[in-house]
Amino acid sequence: MSRTIAIEPVTRIEGHARITLELDDDGQVADARFHLTQFRGFEKFCEGRPYREMPALTARTCGICPVSHLMASAKACDELLSVRIPEVAMELRRLMNLAQLTQSHALSFFHLSSPDLLLGWDCPPAERNVFGVMFRHPQLAREGIRLRQIGQTIIEMLGGKKVHPTWVVPGGVSEPLTEEKRDRMLELVAEGLDIARRTYEFYKDDVVPKFKSEARHFGNFPTMFLSLVSRKGALEHYDGCLRIKDSSGRIVEDMVPTSEYAAIIGEAVEPFSYMKFPYYKPRGYPNGIYRVGPLARLNNCDTCGTPFADVALAEFRTLQASKPVASSFHYHYARLVEIIFALESMERLLNDPSILNTFVRARARSNCLEGVGIAEAPRGTLIHHYKINDDGLMTWMNLIIATGHNNLAMNRGIKQVAQKYVQSDKLQEGMLNRVEALIRCYDPCLSCASHAFGHMPLQIELRNAHGKLLDVVSRS
Amino acid sequence: MSSPAADGAAPATRVVVIGFGSPIRGDDALGPLVADQLADTWVHAPVTVLSRHILTAELATMLHDASLVVFIDASVDGPPGEIVTRELVADVAGALGLAHAVDPRGLLAWTQALYGRAPRAMLVSTRGATFNYAHYALSDAVQAALPPLIETVRRLIDQHLQTA
Repeated sequence: MSRTIAIEPVTRIEGHARITLELDDDGQVADARFHLTQFRGFEKFCEGRPYREMPALTARTCGICPVSHLMASAKACDELLSVRIPEVAMELRRLMNLAQLTQSHALSFFHLSSPDLLLGWDCPPAERNVFGVMFRHPQLAREGIRLRQIGQTIIEMLGGKKVHPTWVVPGGVSEPLTEEKRDRMLELVAEGLDIARRTYEFYKDDVVPKFKSEARHFGNFPTMFLSLVSRKGALEHYDGCLRIKDSSGRIVEDMVPTSEYAAIIGEAVEPFSYMKFPYYKPRGYPNGIYRVGPLARLNNCDTCGTPFADVALAEFRTLQASKPVASSFHYHYARLVEIIFALESMERLLNDPSILNTFVRARARSNCLEGVGIAEAPRGTLIHHYKINDDGLMTWMNLIIATGHNNLAMNRGIKQVAQKYVQSDKLQEGMLNRVEALIRCYDPCLSCASHAFGHMPLQIELRNAHGKLLDVVSRS
Repeated sequence: MSSPAADGAAPATRVVVIGFGSPIRGDDALGPLVADQLADTWVHAPVTVLSRHILTAELATMLHDASLVVFIDASVDGPPGEIVTRELVADVAGALGLAHAVDPRGLLAWTQALYGRAPRAMLVSTRGATFNYAHYALSDAVQAALPPLIETVRRLIDQHLQTA
């Protein structure tokens, strides 16, 4: 008879989720679903608030990537002001965004995923955690901690605090960078780059070769890829235009202005999750499946534009014969390449004397009633879209979050991993962990992804192999 | 858990004081407020005073070579107004999860695991009356407990510096 396997809670991710696997009469996995069971409501309770509050308010969506929300929100507010912010303000924001990328990727790789990658799937659960990594790989663990600290320290030096800084404001930033802080940041960046390069080499040479099977079965399927790229097609996290590549590597959308995102991205709702399902509109739902984040950004860009990251990018592109790299397992690899890129880019920005310019903010009142801000968060493309009234109060907001973009792909990936590793007669720890680990490849931030408010009742259905509804539980 | 990083060497005398808590949750602001008031107390002694919203694992990099760490936090139990001082030991249970935030025992566990040793640790606290969101003032009971609590921390550290 058919059975349903529930994996709950999914551990070592940001937020709360549940996975259900449905087995057919033969005990094979027929379907898999990733349920987001937490609920927030930012889009609704922001209505009626002054738009100038949005950067600080929406940053509260997340304690891991508040800087990403600050960036997208501030950019949307810049559009409401209809100003061109000072060049140095843009570079300072870019600097903070890169520091955020560094600390968040370090958290994902060292704290959350390294137990899977370094200790093995069949390691006893009591040891398969970050403490197990510290015991067996103490130097790597110490450097991981240090790398995250470097990213957080730079955020704190720029914004006054590590979490929820308020330095990014509509029109620019509130304070310029001092020479003393710049010099200290350069020291930190140099130290971080040494760690990042060492970790990358270790991962490439010692870890990747051990996971060839997982790379073949961890979300290895054709999808499109969405990300920002610079106007020259280079890797970009703060500015630029949208690009979409298909699974053959063909560019199907390019240089799409961020203000026109709604022409190519739609959002579907499913009754089993609070997380929406974005899709590429011209191909419809669910055929318009795409992925975002480090894997998508490296697949989409023509170049990183920094020396060592470009070497690593070339090596990344040899991981699979397919172009683009299709396996979600390689999100981890892409994350390490991006850390290198972030640190090299920060070094370049800090070595430019103009980074100390003191005119850092354009001041204006609202001159436009609608604004869109898009930035690349560590987990992928982050969209803030605001509408205000003549008094500057929010009348409508739409947030499309990086983790949400990957929702379709995560569900499909879970099914693929489950079909490979789940045997219905025996539930082994290693199998369960692989299903969870597939989710961790995407580094989902579920607090961000459940920001929305709307008609999304949680509904759980139990069906047999013939599709007959056996039971249903609904919550409106 | 033992660690290959352990060297058994006694650390030089160095004290870290960490006051932690949310500044917008009423009496939870106790820790940061005390830390701010103590910031300039030991100008010529090896004492580092930190004010933090939450404890994160990265603080382990500052603790591993300290001889004493003093945590200051508001508690949810104990007699109102009474200053409670107790010694803490490392506990892995307080450190697993997302690494978004850890409790003091978890932070000691991170330090122990990463560097092979953790400093002696003391927690100085008093019971809070309110921890509601968007409360920016201390309750009368905690406000009254501030001077003796600060004095307790001072005495604890001065004794350590004299005897170490």
